[in-house]
Amino acid sequence: MSETSAISARARTRLTIEPRLNKNLRWTLTMYCAATLIGTGLSALLLWTSGADVTRAFGALLKGAFGSEKAWIATLSKATPLILTGLATVVAFRAQVWSIGQEGQVYAGAMGAYLGCLVFFGLPAGIYVSLIILSGMIGAALLGTAAAVLKVRYGVNEIISTVMMNYLIVFLLSYLIGGGPWTEISTSVVYQQTPQVPETARLQYLLGSNKLHLGFVFALVAAAICYVLLEKTPLGYEIRAMGHNPVALSYRGTNIGRTMLLVMAISGAIAGLAGVSEIFGTSHRLRADTLYGLGYSGIIIGMIGGLRPLGTVIAGLVFGGLASGSLYMKLLAQVPAALIPAMEGILLLTFLCAGVASRYRLVRVGDGDV
Amino acid sequence: MSVILKSVNLTKRFTGVIANEDVNFELRAGEVHCLFGENGAGKSTLSSCLFGFYQPEEGHIEMDGKAVRFASPRDAIAMGIGMVHQHFVLVEAFTVLENIVVGTHERGWKLGMASARSRVEGLCREYGIDLDPDTSIRDLAVGQQQWVEILKALYLEARVLILDEPTAVLTPAESARLFRVMDHMRARGLSIILISHKMSEVMQADRVTVLREGRVVGTVRPQDVTAEALTRMMVGRNVELRIARDRKIQARSSAAPVLVVEGVNYRDTQGKAALVDISLCIGEGEILGLAGVSGNGQKELFEALSGVLTPQSGRIFLAGKEMRGLPSRHYMDSGVGLIPDDRFREGLIPEFNIRENMVLGWQRDQAYTRGPFLDQEKIGAMADTLIEQFQIKTPSASTPVNHLSGGNAQKVILARELMHSSKLLLANQPTRGLDLGVIEYVYRQIIAKREGYAVLLASEELEDLLNLCDRIAVMAGGRITGIVDPLHSSIEDIGLLMAGGTATAAAREAI
Repeated sequence: MSETSAISARARTRLTIEPRLNKNLRWTLTMYCAATLIGTGLSALLLWTSGADVTRAFGALLKGAFGSEKAWIATLSKATPLILTGLATVVAFRAQVWSIGQEGQVYAGAMGAYLGCLVFFGLPAGIYVSLIILSGMIGAALLGTAAAVLKVRYGVNEIISTVMMNYLIVFLLSYLIGGGPWTEISTSVVYQQTPQVPETARLQYLLGSNKLHLGFVFALVAAAICYVLLEKTPLGYEIRAMGHNPVALSYRGTNIGRTMLLVMAISGAIAGLAGVSEIFGTSHRLRADTLYGLGYSGIIIGMIGGLRPLGTVIAGLVFGGLASGSLYMKLLAQVPAALIPAMEGILLLTFLCAGVASRYRLVRVGDGDV
Repeated sequence: MSVILKSVNLTKRFTGVIANEDVNFELRAGEVHCLFGENGAGKSTLSSCLFGFYQPEEGHIEMDGKAVRFASPRDAIAMGIGMVHQHFVLVEAFTVLENIVVGTHERGWKLGMASARSRVEGLCREYGIDLDPDTSIRDLAVGQQQWVEILKALYLEARVLILDEPTAVLTPAESARLFRVMDHMRARGLSIILISHKMSEVMQADRVTVLREGRVVGTVRPQDVTAEALTRMMVGRNVELRIARDRKIQARSSAAPVLVVEGVNYRDTQGKAALVDISLCIGEGEILGLAGVSGNGQKELFEALSGVLTPQSGRIFLAGKEMRGLPSRHYMDSGVGLIPDDRFREGLIPEFNIRENMVLGWQRDQAYTRGPFLDQEKIGAMADTLIEQFQIKTPSASTPVNHLSGGNAQKVILARELMHSSKLLLANQPTRGLDLGVIEYVYRQIIAKREGYAVLLASEELEDLLNLCDRIAVMAGGRITGIVDPLHSSIEDIGLLMAGGTATAAAREAI
């Protein structure tokens, strides 16, 4: 008898983790706030171990990101391509198409647009810019579709194919601007870049700044379109359904291969727009260094944004702030800028944990029995 | 007889749902004890607790009169409890012997195959199990694979054997053999817990414990009660066991054929012939039954007839139109509804809510769109109507279907497919795993829509097929081994045809 009561006493005090039946908004928000705090704490630890003055560094970071109108403009302009590559991730990942090709698609978008810029030169400004944007998006969409075709026709894993294509496209670009036909010919040195694009091809600046350009508006519009596409249209329904259960979707008449092609084309086009806006809004010439890493960051941003368009815009703004603030931090607190990607990584990990945690709850089992 | 295994006031909850409450159950040495109850009554939870898979929150388990606590199945196995699950855990490429040795190997580097072989052969002889230890698992039928699992448990010197719905994968003849072997086991002092919801099996047990909504309703001896009384204990009310069907309006073979299949062959991606020379015909208002041990081509037939897969040869006519080679979309647009056997994998998007699932497959239909957008109002109205009409129990139309019970989830599919199909309903195991009340309801709905409508109905419950169908086609080894008239056939007749494929193959080998 005493043995039995000992058994039930042990059972009474146990805590278990159980999945939630319904998402609770307050719990979710709490988890994400906790993630932000823990992420900041770990980042502080990282700064401290690298010998920096933590308060000063964070102060500088915040000031550089959101401390003035100038800072805001820098943040928004840094956020522009990140929001776009984040959205490209959202569209692909919601369908559970694990495309890592955003990086290559950014380059492909930039190259397609530059080609358009050469081909359509001389057309009226409005049409000229539209055609440049369009050719950039088509170029990137084609690259995305190529990976989808390999997957649908030959069953090639999209993670492998998109990563490999990232390499291919980088080498193609480096040929084109590093001695190939698009290289800027200067008198003495050869830079890895094209000549400047004509004035009429550039994206307009906004708010009288010389940093923030029309691309930011494109990013916001793209976010709105992504939301409507995913939540309000039959295609979005199919994309979401494919992410949850492609078998049932195909049993009920949807051609999964076709959906996958569309997903990769749309995702590619959005990532391509990021490349277009960087080249024709910010650097005004095609060069690799300004584009580097935008696609990979987009994956992190899309994930932190919970694969939701609105969340991705917010995450993009935070990362834009980190990018513009890091310059200040480097100058004012002598912190190496290389710590910023590390901090981004920490934030990603804590946010992913929060995403999982928001789907579970702690339950005390055997509660209330005697 | 002494009590070998016992649960005392056992309670187990899942996320607030009580799966077992205050369950007192005792298994005597050398008896076959049946756990009887509807799906969700707590049979599996109880046996999982006894096997150490779950730990009870209240109450405890006694073995040989002593309180025990199983932290995991490992502890239960060490005490001499063996369990055969519905899903087998076997390595396809290994032989029977290898599976037994590898699955039970405890310690040391050496496998000791020679001594294992003699022990396995000894066990086979002792219990009358007919199995060659050197056959690869992949060459065994599903029913034979179950013997391997049983051997595994015996090899570990189980004194208590828990069998979870063992006859689900067996032909009637194989089931009879299983019960003969169980008699041998009982005679040698083994105790068996048999989980079942089939009345014919329950009646063969020594004692029956009936569970309902997680509680024990009672423990009885089958010879003391009638089948009706047991059903009443299980369901808690009177249920009409036989679904009456008015055969006066039974379709004549002269009725216009809705579906005609001629010489359809299909090889799967591994090159295995899954459908061999299938020909059949279903007329307007006819219900054609499809019987067979699962895995004998029924699934492929349903997939072929709904356009999910394309047979390599043969012809499929739907209302006179050749359909083979067309994608599933065309079948749906021509009025074919499909109830797949794996409802959560093939029939539903589990994370989507009821409303979204009701429109699955019709999301691009003009009826549910406005311009380029989904028309949420129309979809919502359709879903609300169907929820009411089909009495789907749910807090709201925006409840994800993975929060619904199996029966209500099945009703979502049934409602959707009946609503959107006009000529042919393909129903593969539409009642599997459902409660009696829901089964009755599903059948009534299928029967109700008969005007000019053809139905292909596959079920493991042969009695249901005999009651409901105009004709019954039987499949074995990817072939149709016979089409019988239910008015002049018995379960034994169908059983012979179900074994037909393997019987002829064995005969051929003998020559």
